[in-house]
Amino acid sequence: MTARPGTATQDPSGLLSPEAMARRRDVVRHASRTTLRRRRLVGNGTRIACYVALIIALIPLVALISYTIERGVHGLSVAFFTQVPVPQGVPGGGIYNAIIGTLIIVGLAAAVAIPVGLAVALFLVDRRGKVAATIRFVADVMSGVPSIAIGVFAYALIVVPSGHYSGITGSFALAVLMLPIIIRADEVAMRTVPEDLWDAALALGARPSRVARSVVLRTALPGIVTGNLLAVARAVGETAPLLFTALGSTVLETNPFQPMDAMPLRILQDGTQADPHLQTVAWATALVLVAFILVLSIGARTFAAYATRHAR
Amino acid sequence: MSTDSGGGAHGGDESHSASPAPAGPTGIAALLGARGRRPRGGIYAGVRWGGALVFVSVVVALVVSLVWQAAPAFRHSGFSFIFNGTWNPDTEQFGAGVFIIDTLITTGIGLLIVIPVGIATAAALSEFLPRRLAAPLSTCVDLLAAVPSIVVGLWGLLVLVPIFQRDVEPFLQKIPVVKHLFGGGDLGSGILLASVVLAVMMLPTMVALTRTALQGVSVADREAALALGGTHWQVVRRAVIPGARGGIQAAVTLAMGRALGEAIAVALVIGGGVTLPHSLLANGTTLGSAVISFFSEAIGVQRSAVIGLVVVLLVFTALANIGGQLLIRGRSSKGHEAALPDDLITDTEAVPA
Amino acid sequence: MLDSPAGAASGAGREEIGVSLEHVTVRYGKVENAKQVAVRDVSLVLPKNQVTALLGPSGCGKTTILRSINRLHDHTTGRVTGVIRIGDLDVYAKDTQPEIVRTRVGMVFQRPNLFPTLSIFDNVVAGLRMNGVKKREFLREAAEAALRQAALWNSVKDRLGLPAVRLSGGQQQRLCIARALAVEPEVLLLDEPCSALDPMASAQIEELIVQLSAHVTIALVTHNLFQATRISNRTAVFLLNDDHVGTLVEVGSTVDVFSSPQDPRTEAYVTGHFG
Repeated sequence: MTARPGTATQDPSGLLSPEAMARRRDVVRHASRTTLRRRRLVGNGTRIACYVALIIALIPLVALISYTIERGVHGLSVAFFTQVPVPQGVPGGGIYNAIIGTLIIVGLAAAVAIPVGLAVALFLVDRRGKVAATIRFVADVMSGVPSIAIGVFAYALIVVPSGHYSGITGSFALAVLMLPIIIRADEVAMRTVPEDLWDAALALGARPSRVARSVVLRTALPGIVTGNLLAVARAVGETAPLLFTALGSTVLETNPFQPMDAMPLRILQDGTQADPHLQTVAWATALVLVAFILVLSIGARTFAAYATRHAR
Repeated sequence: MSTDSGGGAHGGDESHSASPAPAGPTGIAALLGARGRRPRGGIYAGVRWGGALVFVSVVVALVVSLVWQAAPAFRHSGFSFIFNGTWNPDTEQFGAGVFIIDTLITTGIGLLIVIPVGIATAAALSEFLPRRLAAPLSTCVDLLAAVPSIVVGLWGLLVLVPIFQRDVEPFLQKIPVVKHLFGGGDLGSGILLASVVLAVMMLPTMVALTRTALQGVSVADREAALALGGTHWQVVRRAVIPGARGGIQAAVTLAMGRALGEAIAVALVIGGGVTLPHSLLANGTTLGSAVISFFSEAIGVQRSAVIGLVVVLLVFTALANIGGQLLIRGRSSKGHEAALPDDLITDTEAVPA
Repeated sequence: MLDSPAGAASGAGREEIGVSLEHVTVRYGKVENAKQVAVRDVSLVLPKNQVTALLGPSGCGKTTILRSINRLHDHTTGRVTGVIRIGDLDVYAKDTQPEIVRTRVGMVFQRPNLFPTLSIFDNVVAGLRMNGVKKREFLREAAEAALRQAALWNSVKDRLGLPAVRLSGGQQQRLCIARALAVEPEVLLLDEPCSALDPMASAQIEELIVQLSAHVTIALVTHNLFQATRISNRTAVFLLNDDHVGTLVEVGSTVDVFSSPQDPRTEAYVTGHFG
């Protein structure tokens, strides 16, 4: 049965009469035609403004990297990498102690944060419910805690009772900083493993720990590695947590229970002096630091892209 | 709610091995019980619970130890610690007032810069540029976040301060009307420069989150505007940006949280000063930069007061971050609107013939 | 006997032509030689002020053809060849602006896609505002006319400031129809508008469509045969041919297509052998 349009018209307002509709149609068509050019121009103008904003957004990165390279390159030398700082006015010297310090402090921090973070992430992936949701929420909020608060926290918790500064306290602070990042990255990576894979492996009689190891970790490994690398990249550049814990020093110190130097601390110390030579040292240290971080970050991203492409 | 059954997978499997199991993992999983029930092995569970406990205890310890160390200062000055505008170690008067104001001013101006630039940049990356260009440029903007704040601070101190001192500040002091905001101060460092540095640090967060929000607007929503005869920009303006509103709010809040907590970069360029700023070019001190500046020489009550500043800072950033997290989560659970008025729901309006 | 444009003109009496499609093909894909054809060589006339159903199972090209009428493929990798005319307007001519086409052709989608941040009133007049119509009096009048046509006026006239998302599903879809009508299009494209609605809301929309066809040429994509029989004057049947390309198999008055189909494939389809 095909329908036919109704014939009787109830239209108390008179707005639906053919004349009214035709009149409105003409108004709309006219407006549409005459404003199109202006609308397009406004659109093009806004588009250009957005491109300008993009250029503005890229300027800081370009400026930072180019100034760092330009001013830091002079300071690079073999001595720079192999010697410790010398007194002001004496030529030579380097940041060897800061490099070693960074490696030791961040290394210890990663050695703690990576496993603990993985454990928490496994916890979150496995359980649902309020407990897990709360911990996840806390982890997200914690990732926004200012690093200076974490440094003062480590100071309050460890330096005060123990009576002295130490590199390992700095590691503790950095580990606290890295934990939320690692937890979230690991959890997201593991969540990409389909549920069926879990259930199938368990049903085949595998012990849960073995399931975790073989099935889940293998699939999630790229994401986990990437997340951990990025967390390390972040920790390497932090200054404030170390300021109140490792304190810094001018001598080579490999004992983590003593105050130690680190690259960010060296930059802060040298960059704020009026001596241009020391400022160059600061720039050079910044250059090494940024290069290291960029290699880690870009490496992490490239690895992630490579791994996801070759995942199947 | 998951209720882990004890006994492990072996028990369940043996009891079912006799019956024909349907092929496929989901069938087997159904035999094992409801989703989310994972049999618990001893070590595995211990590791997971251990990790969670360690994490929770660290968070608790953080709050407790800071409040504990800051307590003497609050006892000394009372609650007015927050509002008091005086910071004088000699007279043992400590108040966070000036620092709070400086923090709000620098963050506020930073946001004024970064919100329009960030949204426009995100729009360029998400809506206007072709994919091939947008992806690498996006990564470039994101890379800015990888630069540590000490390097940004160094650059601000050694590069921007001279530029501000030589060119920017004299220029600003010539603009009619506005120039009264920029009185005094010819040091280069100051509140304005700190705001600019904060804007630089907030930018990657703002752009990345806004870009995600814009890209998340569905094709159907865009086509709604397109099908009505809108130009490309009209579609962006009327469908995409309003549709991304929640995500943009989250981006702003999280960027703000980042700026509030920034200490090192600000400390290097803000100059330091414990009185209320009289102009945007004056020196000042934020909560973060105060901790950096005063900590090393502070003893006794002053040290407690400095830690008290950290507590205040934590409260601010926690509010901003919790707000941001709630906004991000709130967006996905839309639809729980207030009850509709009854007659609006049960409409059986006749079709006009 | 497949309807050709000439055949439609004579076979359908003295009805005017609302939209005509001649040898329209839609391809997807970027690589020149490897373009995937979605729907091939469709020639079809939508008579003016009548409801034409584009019928067929999912994926046979009926939505693709619908969206080619208002140039929605411009924003995808789809390429449209052939001629589409609305009245005297050649839709794909070089000097034709897509925005102008979309002012003359309105569209309603499968799920209501109201602007979530806008009120009921602002939603209805959104199309008018985008086309440069500003006068408050005109907007009010157009909104009332559109809402009356969509059978919503009495329900919402006192609450035009309410957020539009607070309406029920059926009402939201009718609001989308009102929004499309406010721009006074001569053609209305409906892409399975009832698929997300319950039966009662669907029935109301169907009744609405019949009433609207007095003023507007309507193209209705549907996979529901019964809906096509209920409300359409003409039906165009789309099916997949052997190389998985959508084709127009038969078109004619709905009565004819269902009671005495010309093509064996049509007969198989309408008698429920598949789809």
